[in-house]
Formats: sequence, structure tokens, C-alpha cells
Amino acid sequence: MQDKINELQESIQQKVSKIANLTDLETMRVQLLGKKGEITQLLKSLGTLSKEERPAAGQLVNKLRVFAETQISTIEQKLSKEKLAQDLQQENIDVTMPGRRRLIGHLHPLTLVLNEMQDLFIGMGFTIADGPEIETDYYNFEALNIPANHPVKDEQDTFYTDEGFVLRTQTSGVQIRVMEQNPVPPIRIIAPGTVYRSDDWDATHAPNFHQIEGLVVDQNVTMADLKGILILFAKKILGENIKTRFRPSFFPFTEPSAEMDINCFVCQDTVNENCPVCKGSGWVELLGCGMVHPKVLQGCNIDPQKYSGYAFGMGIDRIVMQRYNITDIRLLYENDMQFLTQF
Amino acid sequence: MDIPISWLKSYVDVGVSVRQFMDDITMTGTTAESLKPIGFELDKIVVGLIEQITRHPNADKLVVTKVKISENGEEPLQIVTGATNLKVGDYVPVALHGANLAGGLHIKRGKLRGEISDGMLCSIEELGYTKQDFPEAPDDGIYVFEQPQPLGADVREVLQLLDNVVEFELYSNRSDCQSVLGIARETAATYGNRFVLPTVNLKETASGTASDFIKVDIQNENLCPRYIARVVKNVIIKPSPQWLRRRLTLSGIRPINNVVDITNYVMLEYGQPLHAFDIDNIDERQIIVRNAHANEQFVTLDGTNRQLDETMLVIADKNKAVAIAGVMGGENSKVTGNASAVLFESANFDATNIRLTSKKLGMRTDSSAKFEKGIDPNLPLIAINRAMELIEKLECGEVVPNMVDKYPNPREPQKVEYNPQNINQKLGINLSAQQMEDLLALLDISAKNGVAIVPTFRPDITGEADIAEEIARMYGYDKIPINQVIDGITGGGKNAIQKSVDNIKNLLSALGYSEALTTSFESPKIFDKLKMPQNEPLRNAVKINNPLGEDFSIMRTSPLNGMLQSLSTNFNRRNDFARLFELTKVFLPTSNGSSNEPILPTLPNEPIYLTIGAYSKNPDKAGKTGMDFFDLKGDIEELLASLGIANVSFVANANVPQLHPGRTADIKIGENTIGQLGELHPDIAANYEIGTRSYIAIIKLADILTEKTPKYVPLPKFPAIVWDISLQVKEEIAVATIEQAIKEKAGKLLTEISLFDVYQGSQIEKNYKSVSYTLTFRATDRTLTIDELPKTAILQHLQDTFGVTLRDK
Repeated sequence: MQDKINELQESIQQKVSKIANLTDLETMRVQLLGKKGEITQLLKSLGTLSKEERPAAGQLVNKLRVFAETQISTIEQKLSKEKLAQDLQQENIDVTMPGRRRLIGHLHPLTLVLNEMQDLFIGMGFTIADGPEIETDYYNFEALNIPANHPVKDEQDTFYTDEGFVLRTQTSGVQIRVMEQNPVPPIRIIAPGTVYRSDDWDATHAPNFHQIEGLVVDQNVTMADLKGILILFAKKILGENIKTRFRPSFFPFTEPSAEMDINCFVCQDTVNENCPVCKGSGWVELLGCGMVHPKVLQGCNIDPQKYSGYAFGMGIDRIVMQRYNITDIRLLYENDMQFLTQF
Repeated sequence: MDIPISWLKSYVDVGVSVRQFMDDITMTGTTAESLKPIGFELDKIVVGLIEQITRHPNADKLVVTKVKISENGEEPLQIVTGATNLKVGDYVPVALHGANLAGGLHIKRGKLRGEISDGMLCSIEELGYTKQDFPEAPDDGIYVFEQPQPLGADVREVLQLLDNVVEFELYSNRSDCQSVLGIARETAATYGNRFVLPTVNLKETASGTASDFIKVDIQNENLCPRYIARVVKNVIIKPSPQWLRRRLTLSGIRPINNVVDITNYVMLEYGQPLHAFDIDNIDERQIIVRNAHANEQFVTLDGTNRQLDETMLVIADKNKAVAIAGVMGGENSKVTGNASAVLFESANFDATNIRLTSKKLGMRTDSSAKFEKGIDPNLPLIAINRAMELIEKLECGEVVPNMVDKYPNPREPQKVEYNPQNINQKLGINLSAQQMEDLLALLDISAKNGVAIVPTFRPDITGEADIAEEIARMYGYDKIPINQVIDGITGGGKNAIQKSVDNIKNLLSALGYSEALTTSFESPKIFDKLKMPQNEPLRNAVKINNPLGEDFSIMRTSPLNGMLQSLSTNFNRRNDFARLFELTKVFLPTSNGSSNEPILPTLPNEPIYLTIGAYSKNPDKAGKTGMDFFDLKGDIEELLASLGIANVSFVANANVPQLHPGRTADIKIGENTIGQLGELHPDIAANYEIGTRSYIAIIKLADILTEKTPKYVPLPKFPAIVWDISLQVKEEIAVATIEQAIKEKAGKLLTEISLFDVYQGSQIEKNYKSVSYTLTFRATDRTLTIDELPKTAILQHLQDTFGVTLRDK
């Protein structure tokens, strides 16, 4: 018995060192440890031994079995590793080949900028109001303190419909509607939307474009509040480094009125005397604003003695063009995929 | 409005650079829009004295001159010239080596036919001017200064060629600013000074009095609140002096003769248009200010015949009109060299009437442009006297004493009350009442104890808010503090509909569609282009009265044209595919335009549509840019499902004129049709020059705006069991009806039914098709066994309803 075990152990050691793949290893395992394997046979043969011989022999055979198993598992681990390495080697791909891209759509650049503006104002407690694009004379002009014969009402500036309505020239009519519906302030709204002016299509003009207006009415609203919110707006939308200035202006529906300029985005630090954008002033106009005219408040049944408010408005198309370096406004309305997918 | 800065500076101190001044005055509310430097392109041109003229050794037509250009004994320059008007002792402009002349001409030292020429002697043209500007210049030759000048002096300064013209953009409520003096007033105020108008001194040397020469009758005092007439005798018509001509030219007005130039000069200076008539052409020397007659014909100064109407105001005599009031004078009364006496008119006309007249006649003149802003009726007096002063100073004639002044209702300064506390509150500042009064005083507004006396040239100031603005701009908008603390909170945010719109846009973009934006204007021709039947209600559109052209003359009633135009643009720019969506307002009249009933029109309805349009030149490129009916349908199903809309069905509709009759479906939620989807009809595709199959969906946005919040359904605890069946059915039976039939019998255990194959071919009987489904069943409380499935019931029902048979197990 002892001899046989020794012999077997030696042969295992020899065979194992020669095994080169997992299939041969499995064959060997079956030969030794399978149902009819040599070690299994030995274990089975223990029964033929006498009671006295059995424990010692049993110990020896078990030792042999453990030895065989250990040998096999060690070599198996080694071979598996080698095989994996080989497999991985074979699965090499050219990672520089193009990926399979999914198609996603793109929101219009105007929507992107408008979303940003809306988020900003919503964060400051504003809601978004909407109104008709075809308006009555009252909401587009009269309620805004624009008198009957005012030149802005000329047909060269304003579109009229055959029924005597106006294609709104500003979204201010929305402000009036909101005030009429909320005679008890506070009111904090923005009104974005399409507006119309009688301009022919060219690189910087379109007969329809987009505006966003804002209106705040409450007790103790001051021009300092107006400056505060618009400076914040400019910094958030155009960048922290933007410079702003407020200068007096004229709008029939605000008094005092102001225009907010920002530093010229073409000239940057050194102002160019011949800059086509700022004309050498270093400033470009961004928006118009002011304290709501008492007559406008009164017309909406809001007591101007008790409440005051401010309003502001600006074109969005120009801001979009400036942000994305778009040089022709018509690109915004052509819907060329090569254009839209850039944003 | 262009103002030469030199002119402005003759009334008011400007101690800063032009740019700084422009900035400063802009900040107080007068917008200095742009700057035009004048004469700075000229360089290195100095005064020289001709010391010697000798013949050129090699050229008969040239001479060699020695020109002294400095007093301190430097060698004179040798300059060759071809001019023949020179003599020793003349002072002339000398362009030195390196000089720049008008028109970009650059001067270098050189040799002319062998003789050194160290520069060039200049004619007035070479300096960029004409004999018109400098009448003393020779017709042909070098300019010679009339007086001796310091040698070496900069010619630009000697001839006063340097200036800066500032363009101001004026607000429509500030007619007082449309003059040099108006701007001077704002300039002074900007720098904290109060402006005082220059005084006017007259000699009035002629005999008689104005009323001997002229009578004035205003027949329409509403349109002509004031009319002043003054008379000048022994008028000598001649060119105006250089300084006056130059101021006019720089301000954009062409000099004509002294009389016309003076009226224009005073208009620029004071903002009051004047007009001069040859008094001999005023019949009976009687001015009548009246409305024109219907169809009255009148030849204006420019030689054009104008047809007037009764709304227009004319200046007339007993027999004829002599001017269109405030707009333009007449050919019949213009001042010529023969006038024995000239009548000067300084009047005030109604702003709106002037604007409408000038618009109707299509003639906007310098005069009408000023009048239509509304001028202070107290201005004509000082302006006419200033004109008379210039007449005397420039020795144009003798001014007849006194004037005829019809001014029935003089405008008085207005009192405007204000409360300093309110103003501080509104502006967010804290000024004392005295500080406010001081600021207002800069603008000639005398204020005391909350009452402001507003001068008549400021009719725009009528209330406290206006006073607040004057104080604010004089104080400085930049000094108003910046407050970023919000006092009191409001709940901001988007409402449910706005959120839903955002959601729809995001879903569509996730599905690969890009957002389009089109214009609201359309041509009435698109109705035919879209094959809309003649009785189609969408042909009733809102019409624009004053369109940019026929192509933009109506407001869209359908979003289709815009989308198809966009697809066409993409196709014709050779883009392989286009996938677009747009949320579009359309405009539907609420009244039927043709009705003659006197009902008040109501605003049009403005419903919003979601339009999707797509094509692909590689329609089979599945999952990417591929596009066919089912790609689009799948995307719409995905969209509606993601919006939480259940009960969606699609029903074939062969009657949409713009879409393929066999490939179009109504989209329904329950019984409500919310839109259509389909392949574009080939006729329409041809009309829009889209050379590939395109797919379109139009959905009424209001029908898919959802506010539902999904409720969590517990995850399944027990496995599902699937049953695949292949059915043989008549080919005309729509799969939706088979599915419906299966659902009717499958009971609650059926969780999903999906079609995975439709087959027609050799294995199948003719006119039949094979449809294969995977049915998924699941119970929430146990593991199902195959025997529990209602197989028999389903198959029996299919057999009974459609004669469907099971193809294989």
C-alpha cells in the first residue's frame, strides 16, 4: 500500500508539471479523482484491509487525495489565468473606430436662452405670464399711456389687421392684463413672447422677434430695486464681469425711464473709435426699463399713491445672437439642421 | 441731429474731451449717439510764404518756388508747382514731406523733371473743400490766404478745418432739445450750471412798421396757435459768410443764399423753423392761415405739384396758397434776387397735423421734422428776432420795426405739485427739499415748497413722476443705490401648463427632434399650395392691412406651411435628414370677415399646435436617422406614453388633403381626435420641392397638456408567463382590432401584448397574413401555471369574430 501511494504521488508530480491546458488537466483529474479514478479506487480498496491496518492506510490515502487536489487546483488557477490572458488578447478591438451615436434633438437657441432667463427670475419669485399676440389698441398702446396720435402707432412701425387689431409691438399688454386681474399687489411677473414690428428681413431685423418683459408692483418698490435686479440679471446671463450703466431714457409707460447699457462685447477692454457696434462709446444698449407710470397703474385700478412698480423689457433674439456669435437673425428662423444641432 | 461741437462751445463751456462730453451728456439723458471727427485726416499742412519764383529749367509749364515755413531762419523749402496764380509774398498752404491730403493723397519729397520738390503747394480742393466753401479761393490754382498768417502754423487750425460733429438721438418728448441752444442748456445742466439764452439786439433801421407791410389772419387757431411776421426791406441776396456756411454744412444743411441760410441757421440754433416769402408775391399783402381746399393744387419749392386735402393747413393770400404750413414753401413766393422786401414767418403749428400732412404728401422736411415733435409757441418770438439780428449783422437788408404777432392763447408756465418724500421713496434716495430745488433750477424749473413752475418749453413735465425723473437725471442715475434685497416673498415658478410644455420639448428632443421656429406671416397662396378645399375654414385668415408684401400678408391658420418650408430648406441644402418639431401659435379669426353686420370684432383665437416634421434620405437607417410612418408613430406613442396619456389609438383617415390617403391616421385619446399623423402627399411634397418621403404630425397642444403625477405600482413579486401565438387572418383585418379582441378575453392577468411578426408569402394562403404576438401574463399573488391562461377563450373568440385560426403552437 505504502509503496503504491508513493508511486502514485511521484507520478502525479511528474504529470502535473507536463500539463499544458485545462482539457488535459481535467483528464488527469478524472483519472485520479473520478468515479473510477486511481485514488478513488484506493479509497474504495480500504475496505478490504483489516481493522488494524485501516486507520493508518486511510490516513495515507487521504493525504494523497489532498495532495492531488492541491496540485490540480494550483495548476488550474495558473492555466485559467493564462487562458484568460490569451482570450483577452484575442478580443482586442480598435477603440479608435467611431462609436454608435444615438440621435438626440436640440432645443432652439432662443429656448435655451429664454429658459435660462426664466429660471433666473423664477428664483427671485417671478411667475410667467402670457397673452395674445394679436392685441387691441387699448392693451398695446392706450393702457400704456401712448396717446392716439403717437408716431409709434404709424403703419411704418406697427402692423394692423383688417379688423383694426394690432400685432403686438411689445409684450406689455400682458402686464396690463395681469394688473387688471390682480388689483391687489404684490405682482412679480415676466412676460416672454413673440412681438412684431414693421421691419423688413435683413441680417439684424425681422418683422417678428422675441421679447421678455418684467413687471414688479408692490408697496415701496424703488428705482434702487430696479437697478438691483437688472444688474443681477446682466451678470447671471452675460457673465460676472459684465459692466452696466443706467441712463435716462423715455418710454410713455414708465417715469422715470432708463436704459441699461452693457460694455461693448466687441471692444472689450480698449474701446475702438470706429467700432461698428458701440460707435466708439464702449457701451451697447441692452434693455429699457423704468418706474411704472402712475397713469398706467391708475388705468388698471391700482392706487399709485399706495403702490409703485418697475418694468423692464428687452429683445431676446439679439442676446441669443451675441451669446452664440450668430451674425444673421434669419438663421434663427430657417431651421437648418446644420444650424440647430450646434446648440 | 448733428451738432458741430465748435458751435455748441460758442454758447457753453465744455471743459472735457469730446468723448467724455458725449458720455456725460448721455448720462443726464441726452443721447450722444456717435462722433464724426472732421478734418483730422489732413496732416502736416502748414502756412508758408512764397519768397521766390523761378522758371523750371526743364519744363515750360512748371515753376520752382522757395517757400519759407518758419520764422527762425530755417532754409526755405524748394517746391515745384504748375500753378500760375502765385506771386512772391503770398501766404499759401504747404503740404510737407509725409503730409496727408484729402482723399488719402500722401505727399513725399521727390524730383519733378530733375528739380527737387520738397512738398506741395495746395489748392482748396486738395484740402477737401470747394470754392463753395471758400469763395475767396481761385477757380484754378493754389489757395492764397487773404491775410498774412504765422509761418508754420497748422493750416487745419488757420482755416478752422478741424471739428467734431456729434450726432444726438433725441427722445420724442423732448422737442426743446432739437436745437443747438437746447443741447447747450442740457450741457450746462450736466456740468451743474444754469444756462442763459444769449440776448438779441436789433437796430431796426428801416422806416415804417411791420403792420404797414403785412396783415395776418389765422382762420384755424387750433392748427396754428401763433403766427409772427416780420419784414426786411432792401434785401441784398448774396452768399453767407464762411463761418455760417460751414456751420450749416457740418449740420447737414446745404447753404443756398444769405436769406435762406439765416432761416436755416436759426432753425438749427433755436429749433424754430422759419420761412421767407417774397412779399411782392403775397397778394394784397395779406397772409391767411387756412385749411387747404379739397384737391387744391400747389407747386412746392422743389418744383413738384402737390394735391392737398382739407385736413392740411396752408399759408395763403387772398387768391392762392403760398406755403404748406410748416412743411414747405411754394414756388410762387420764393425769395429771388429781385425781392424788394422779404416777409419772415415764425409760427407755431399743431404737431400731429404737420406729421399727418407730411406723411400724406410723402415729404418730410427739416421743418416738418421739427414741428411734428411739438414746439413751444413762445419760441417763435425770440427766433424771429434772432433772424433779424443776423440780417443786420450780415448786412442783408434793413429790418422794419415791430412785427405782426397773432397769438390768441399764449401758453403760460405750468405749476406741477410734488412731494419730495414721495420722490425720495420712488427713487430709493434721500435728498433734501433744497437739494431737489437746486437740481430742478439747472433746468429752468423754479421749485419751492413742493410746487414746480415748469417753463413752457417743457410740456412733457406734467406730474410728480416727471419731476422725479428730472431730479433723478440731474442727481445721476448712477448715484441711485443698488438694492438686491427683496422685501417680501412671492411664490414664483412655472404653472402646470408651462411645466408640461417644457416636458414636451424635452421629450421630443430626447426622441431626436430639434426645435424649429418659423414666422407667423404667410402668403394667401399657401392655401392652394396645401390643396385646401375652397370651403376649408382655415382659408379664413387674419389679414394684415399694411403687410411687408403679399408673401407676408396674412397670419398663419395652420402650422403646416412653416414646417414644410423648413423641411424643404433642409432638403434643398442637401441635408441627409431632418427631424423637427415646433410649438406654433396659429391665428383663427372669431368673426367671419365677410359679414356686414355692425358687430364689434373680437380678438382671434390663438391655439397652439405641436407640429412634427421629418424626412430621411436613408429611411431604413433604423433607430438613428431612419424615418418612416412607424418611426414617427412610435415616437408619438412614446411621447404620449411618457406624458402619462393612456387610451391612445390610431384610426386610418384617407381624407387629409395634405397627407397620403393610405398612410395617414387620426391620433385619438379615447373618442377625442387630437391630431393627425401621416406621410406627406406626393403632390404637396412636389409643391414644396421635397424630393423624398416626409412624415408629418400635427397635434393640438391643449389636448396633451397633462398635470398627472404617476402613482407607484409595486414591483412584481411573481414571475410572468409568456405565450407566443401566430395567427392566420385575412389581410385587410387591422392588427389593432385583433389586439382588441385578444384583450377582451384575456382578463386581468394579461400585462402586455406585443406584435413581433407580420408575414405574407408562400407559407400563407393568398389574401391572408400571419400575425404573431407575445402575450405576457402575470398574477400579483402567485406564480401562474400555463393551464391557468385563458387560451381557449381567446382563440375561440378570435375564431368567432374574424375567422382567425392558430397557425402553429
